Amino acid sequence: MRLLRVIPTVLRQILRSPIRSGLTIVGIAVAMFLFVVVEAMREGVHTATQVQAGDTTLVVYRENRFCPFSSRLPQFYGDRIEQLDGVTDVVPMQIHVSNCRASLDVVTFRGVPRDDFNTAVTGETQIIGGTVDHWQSRGDAAIVGEALAARRGLRVGDRFSAAGLTVYVAGILNTDHPQDRNIAWVHLPFLQEAARRGGTGALVTQFNVLVDDPKQLEAIASDIDALFTHDEHPTATRPERAFVGRAARDIVDLVDFAGVLAWGALAAVFALIANAIVLAVRDRVRDHAVLQTLGFTGPLIGWMVMLEGVIIGLVGGLLGAAAALTTVRVGNFSLTMEGLNMEIAGGWTAPLLGVAAALTLGFLAGVVPAIRLARRDIAASFRAV
Amino acid sequence: MALIECRQLTRTYRRGNEEITPLRDLDLDIESGGFVALMGPSGSGKTTLLNLLAGIDRPTAGTLSVAGKPVHNLPRRALANWRSAHVGYIFQLYNLIPVLTAYENVELPLLLQSLSRSERHDRVATALEAVGIEDRHEHYPRQLSGGQEQRVAIARAIVTEPTILLADEPTGDLDRQSATSVMELLAQLNSEQGRTIVMVTHDPRTTEWADTVLHLEKGRLVEQAVGSERP
Repeated sequence: MRLLRVIPTVLRQILRSPIRSGLTIVGIAVAMFLFVVVEAMREGVHTATQVQAGDTTLVVYRENRFCPFSSRLPQFYGDRIEQLDGVTDVVPMQIHVSNCRASLDVVTFRGVPRDDFNTAVTGETQIIGGTVDHWQSRGDAAIVGEALAARRGLRVGDRFSAAGLTVYVAGILNTDHPQDRNIAWVHLPFLQEAARRGGTGALVTQFNVLVDDPKQLEAIASDIDALFTHDEHPTATRPERAFVGRAARDIVDLVDFAGVLAWGALAAVFALIANAIVLAVRDRVRDHAVLQTLGFTGPLIGWMVMLEGVIIGLVGGLLGAAAALTTVRVGNFSLTMEGLNMEIAGGWTAPLLGVAAALTLGFLAGVVPAIRLARRDIAASFRAV
Repeated sequence: MALIECRQLTRTYRRGNEEITPLRDLDLDIESGGFVALMGPSGSGKTTLLNLLAGIDRPTAGTLSVAGKPVHNLPRRALANWRSAHVGYIFQLYNLIPVLTAYENVELPLLLQSLSRSERHDRVATALEAVGIEDRHEHYPRQLSGGQEQRVAIARAIVTEPTILLADEPTGDLDRQSATSVMELLAQLNSEQGRTIVMVTHDPRTTEWADTVLHLEKGRLVEQAVGSERP
């Protein structure tokens, strides 16, 4: 119970040293903001690029092409792919982007046949505004991913322009599939015409192929590529997430490197808390000797010091994580490259990881000073004053 | 049986290659309810003796018993617990915790006891009232005068109702008026509440409130004046 009864005293020590505590907490919050944002980026990239056991989607692209402007495949390839064993659906897709470079705000248009919208979008989906029927009824209609709609402030009935196209928003799509949250789905002929790729029914950027057995993903990919290996337009077929990972390899590498920054942020948090604790302990040599004289045991004083580190770490961690989560959620950022989206994850994993890390580092930063204090002799403390 | 019994009490420590013995083979009995003043030149062993009585320091040799309980060989943790229950310590420089109010400073020793918040409140209020500073309970040490700070420190020392009250030059940092006021307060605690007080002092004037004056020199007791024997 003594451990609990001293908690208010520890809180008073923190609150009544506002400059030291405030600066330390702000420093931790800034570092933790950086850590959580980087982790959210890493999580988003991981989700978008790591092949899952249950994945059933293949992407057929032009061999040795990774940009939607350079991948051109005849649309009739779709009929041949559809005849392969294990293939359940083939969706020809035209892709048009507002910016081919890596960016945080790219609009990606995906053109799909009028009747293939429900096949083209995968995972758990829900139209939260407008209807698919409404989209099917208008040639210039677009169903917009929720993240793109939030970022651009789009609502059903709005018109918006990007990449030289002007479309009408016929619906807003909510989906658990990160690739689809930043997409504007339009009609394939509309996009082919608007993108001036030779008119309706000629060329597409890629095919999305659905297979019935996830275990056959690689085998069917090989069958597709074998089908066109001697054709004028040979293909490269990969599971969708592997395709994203390869096409956006520069971003993946960059984000992996950013992981170093996350570790750096954690090191900064540790250094800040440790510095605050060491200074506090040094300032309070006399106070701690007085507490010992009053009957506080060394371990109890050590506990108070450790608790101070934990509380400062926790508060800084919570502030930084909350700021990062708010920024990521309000901003609805996604990393886009070559028309492929990797959403910066706005889930709870990165913030919780950040808070847990700050808590742990606060504990670790306080341990050594706490142990040294616990062993310190009272008379030696008074002599040191 | 005396409340405090010291037998052949010796404290030796090393400073570099030099061995220093500030207290040597001290035999001393202090009765319950006594008010003892320890005097002597610097380095005579007064503060060393006070620290040994308080359980802050340990004797190198000899025995120390308080209320019949040997404390010289208590393990560190047990010694801390014994201190919290039996010792009230008053410092020359008050040593209040600067970020805590007068009330919170006085409450500190009670956090070690199994008391409810309201019980702690009652005890703190009683102690602050006893030292006449209840109207300053929300003040921080920096907002108090030296005399007021020392009164808060005395309240902190008596709030646990300790067996012995130890004071290390309690008036050493105060002007004459405040010093007199603090000494009167200690004398009142001794006479009205029967508290046993052992006080280190350099100031002969403060010894007039004590019933026994002990003179130490080079770690040995050289003179003991009790009651009417006092100069």
